[in-house]
Amino acid sequence: MAASLITYTTVVFPLHGGDVRAPSAVFDQIFEVFLLLGTAVGVVVVAYTMYHALKYRDDGGGTDPYADKVERPEMGEMPTGGAGGRKVFYSFSISAVIVVSLIAWTYSQLLYIEQGPDPAQAEALEIDVEGYRFGWDFVYPNGHTTNTLRVPQDRVVRLQVTSTDVFHNFGIPALRVKTDAVPGQYTSAWFTANETGTYAAKCYELCGSGHSLMTTDVVVMPQDEYEEWYAETNGTAASGNEMDQRIATEATALGGAPA
Amino acid sequence: MSQDHEHGLPPKSSVSRWFLTTNHKDIGVLYLITALFFLVFGGVLALLFRLELISSGADLLGSMGYNQAVSTHGLLMVFWFISPFAFGFANYVVPLQIGADDLAFPRLNALSYWLYLFSGILMGVSFFQGTTFAGGWTMYAPLNTPAYIPGEGLGATSVVLALIMFTAAVTLGSVNFLTTMYRMRAEGLRMRDIPIFSLSINLTVWMMLFAFAALLAALMILASDHILGTTYFQYSIDGTTMATDADNPGASLLWAHLFWFFGHPEVYIVFFPALGVMAECFQTFTGRRLVGRKWFIISMVLVALQSFVVWMHHMFLTGINLPIKTIFMATTIGISLPFDLMVFSLIYTMAKGRVRFTTPFLFSLGALILFIIGGITGVFLGAIVLDYQFRGTYWVVAHFHYVMVAGATALFGGLYYWYPKITGKMYNETLGKIQFGVYFLGFNLLYFPMFIAWETPRRVFVYPDGLQIWHTMATVGGFILGASFLLMFYNLFVSLWRGEDVGPNPWEYATSAEWAVSSPPPLENFPGVPSYGTGKLEFLDEETVAERTESMPGAAAHGHAATDGGTVTDGGAVTARAATTATTMESTHEVSGEEHASHASFWPFLVSLGGFIAFLGLSGVRTGSVFYLTMAAVGGVATFGSLVGMTREPFHAPEMAIAERWPFERVEKMKLGMWTFLASDIVLFGAFIGSYAFVRVAYGWTAWHHDLIPAEHVTMPGLINTYLLLTSSFLVVLAMVAAERESKRGTVAALAGTFALGVGFLINKGLEWQHLFHISTETFPNGWNLSTNIASSTFYLTTGLHGAHVTIGLIICAYMTVRAWNGAYQGDDRAIEYFGLYWHFVDIVWLFLFPLFYIL
Repeated sequence: MAASLITYTTVVFPLHGGDVRAPSAVFDQIFEVFLLLGTAVGVVVVAYTMYHALKYRDDGGGTDPYADKVERPEMGEMPTGGAGGRKVFYSFSISAVIVVSLIAWTYSQLLYIEQGPDPAQAEALEIDVEGYRFGWDFVYPNGHTTNTLRVPQDRVVRLQVTSTDVFHNFGIPALRVKTDAVPGQYTSAWFTANETGTYAAKCYELCGSGHSLMTTDVVVMPQDEYEEWYAETNGTAASGNEMDQRIATEATALGGAPA
Repeated sequence: MSQDHEHGLPPKSSVSRWFLTTNHKDIGVLYLITALFFLVFGGVLALLFRLELISSGADLLGSMGYNQAVSTHGLLMVFWFISPFAFGFANYVVPLQIGADDLAFPRLNALSYWLYLFSGILMGVSFFQGTTFAGGWTMYAPLNTPAYIPGEGLGATSVVLALIMFTAAVTLGSVNFLTTMYRMRAEGLRMRDIPIFSLSINLTVWMMLFAFAALLAALMILASDHILGTTYFQYSIDGTTMATDADNPGASLLWAHLFWFFGHPEVYIVFFPALGVMAECFQTFTGRRLVGRKWFIISMVLVALQSFVVWMHHMFLTGINLPIKTIFMATTIGISLPFDLMVFSLIYTMAKGRVRFTTPFLFSLGALILFIIGGITGVFLGAIVLDYQFRGTYWVVAHFHYVMVAGATALFGGLYYWYPKITGKMYNETLGKIQFGVYFLGFNLLYFPMFIAWETPRRVFVYPDGLQIWHTMATVGGFILGASFLLMFYNLFVSLWRGEDVGPNPWEYATSAEWAVSSPPPLENFPGVPSYGTGKLEFLDEETVAERTESMPGAAAHGHAATDGGTVTDGGAVTARAATTATTMESTHEVSGEEHASHASFWPFLVSLGGFIAFLGLSGVRTGSVFYLTMAAVGGVATFGSLVGMTREPFHAPEMAIAERWPFERVEKMKLGMWTFLASDIVLFGAFIGSYAFVRVAYGWTAWHHDLIPAEHVTMPGLINTYLLLTSSFLVVLAMVAAERESKRGTVAALAGTFALGVGFLINKGLEWQHLFHISTETFPNGWNLSTNIASSTFYLTTGLHGAHVTIGLIICAYMTVRAWNGAYQGDDRAIEYFGLYWHFVDIVWLFLFPLFYIL
């Protein structure tokens, strides 16, 4: 009964990417926690280190304040360890617990990122991305190919990324999506954008003279506008390779070889 | 010191000494100075691109100039600065700390140094061959192949060859250090008892032995793609981009796997010596023994082992599946934990200490703090969800500089720490502390803003305006950091004259043996034979040593008996690298203990010079230019001639009379050297075979056979060759038996038979190749040669590497046959045994190659 109700709901009112937890939200949450804890641990450990260094610093007085408590190393002795191993273990255990629990906590989030949102709830828009020196081709399901990635707001977008020449890496930093573009194989990544606007996609793997300028626009459009735009595309390449042209010119202008 | 006392070695003031010396202390100094030169080289490149980054855009260097600067900066710092700098100390200090008078193979040690220097010069020359390598220090494929390198790309080829030469130096060094540390420790010094710096070096060279073998495989394949035209790292779509139409979907990831299998252990290879220096300085300047020393050592061993199973965390975004990601996430977190223990061990070592803030201690403490920050930011990368977004950004750049340059920081501390030992003079403490202050400020101003500006992609010169302030700060920090070195160089240089003279030990609470001898130590290191037999360092006089060796059976005496027989053995153990000419031989004539050790040989320099000329020639042979072809030929002949000269030169490096040799009491040093070398060779072949399997699986295991291999490639030649090699191995055993029985005729006959069968192997292979090159079928109208497709590339290169091993074996075999003819080896078959080890190994490799390349 309940199951059929859900099925009915999703068919009549398809849930959109807007209800899906975006990768950027996942990243932001984990990053915040790590930053907070990392800073705290860093401050504590560094302070602890400095405390030891300063507390036990030699006052230059020539007398050893711990002469009766500890034995100082002597020239030519066989190397051995000093006392205090238990404290090392306690401290080590605390740090190990922090590290392991933090990573374990992120693992569930990793599973979410890896598997993506439930496909029954959010039908993904599939786009092929082909990296080349020095630009990107985006191939839509109808075969339409463009150099600017246009996606609808609040919709899960799944990218299948490859390269036609060297190793690239496709990333849209603002949307926290990134994956390697490896020649000879596809890698996959997904995202959903909740806000309309224009974002930047960049190449994150050194690929030659134009690498620094291998950026392109990602336009997130309201759903209806997107539908309108998509309906007008008819499976042909968008007007020329403006983007390639621009990059090649800029690279040359900045002193780079056009190669 | 008179020339006589130095055993033919000119005084230090003479320039010729520095070309001749094989003494570990001299070579240590050479390493230190050369490494500092490369620090300046790599540092100036860094300052250039930091200047570029002061504002967005490539208005200073141009885009290719910028790419070259970042790439070579990385290569120079990682390969030519930091490890060799650490090995300067290792060379100088390890024999002193463990009680040895030199390394096990002094001439090989000199050869390591000269190969290192000339590899660096070749790297420098590459800047003048059009453009140098511009594909990043990670050299991802296929950007690293000529098809994607603008112009002729000869500079890039030179860089690859320079790296091969550097790797040869590292491999020889690893074999040498391992043999030394397992055969030449002072009596009573178990492996776990050697001082912590030496221990860190021991683990470092173990990692080097295997990790660099994998890198060597990667580099040899890449060099072959550059020079011979194989197609391992090339990928083509529709045949438009590439010269060949070979489709090789595994190409790009193959490089990534090979590189990171080396690359991650390399992180610890770089960091371990620094850790060793930190531990030494902490102990000395706190007046405390290292807390939890046992666990510190166990942690290091764990890290060294685990370092080989974390490499894929550099490849999380390449599409590897979730289970593998999970495993590598777990190993990555696992490898971070031992470091936590080590950090706390260092912190608690200060407790109840008498901490003296000298310059070396300041650098060690600074390094610890920087490493803590580097470690914490590294945990971020262990969380894969974060790693995805940090990939290729300044977060990674900042993190690994906080780790790697923290290591360098500790090593600079080491430079101040051992400076009085090396020079006999004290540096200026005030200037040293000022340098630390400037250094620490510059370091943090340079690298910390990178965390804040982490959204900047790596290796780009454009970034959002909002981040400019941080990049400007980093640039300013870079210049402050650079300036601090001017203070250091000034201090250390001027102190050579103005510094106060120091006695054996300027540091209160220093304990290890290098501080028990004068500063600098005499040529043969110790006033007597060092021993920890009573639990404390003492120097035994000759009489005591003689008494001990006569009365004491067991391990120590065994080693002595072997060397005291007065027999001359010709090792002829050969360390061979099939990297075209990078072959090296060391024959050590052992003489009775009374004979003084040798300390001078000109051959290591000549071998390396020849290698340099040959490699420079090789970088341009594909252009067909007469200049480059001549260089390659001349260099090849010079290298070979020098190797023969080196083999024939009488050189005495006696084994120690009394030494701790666990667990290799019964393995003579030549044999141990051969074993360790073969261990690295196994990894080399393993990487080649692994590469073959990887690209074949990526293509489709069975489709490969169908699409890419002609029917003319039949099993028979391989089968015949299998029998030839097996029979030749049997003959080597017969040669040993004959030598044992003192049958000169039998020895010569068996060795000559081995040689003949080996030559037969090569002739058969030559005929087979000739046939395959020139077949003309429907599928392969132009023959089946190295460039035809990925199957032919793997076939020719892998079996070719084996063939090169056979050829090297045959050269040694010929040499030994002649010596046997002249009456050598009778009654002492050890030299034949060592050759046999190599030869049998080459056979075993063939037993793997034959099914892989002929049957499956």
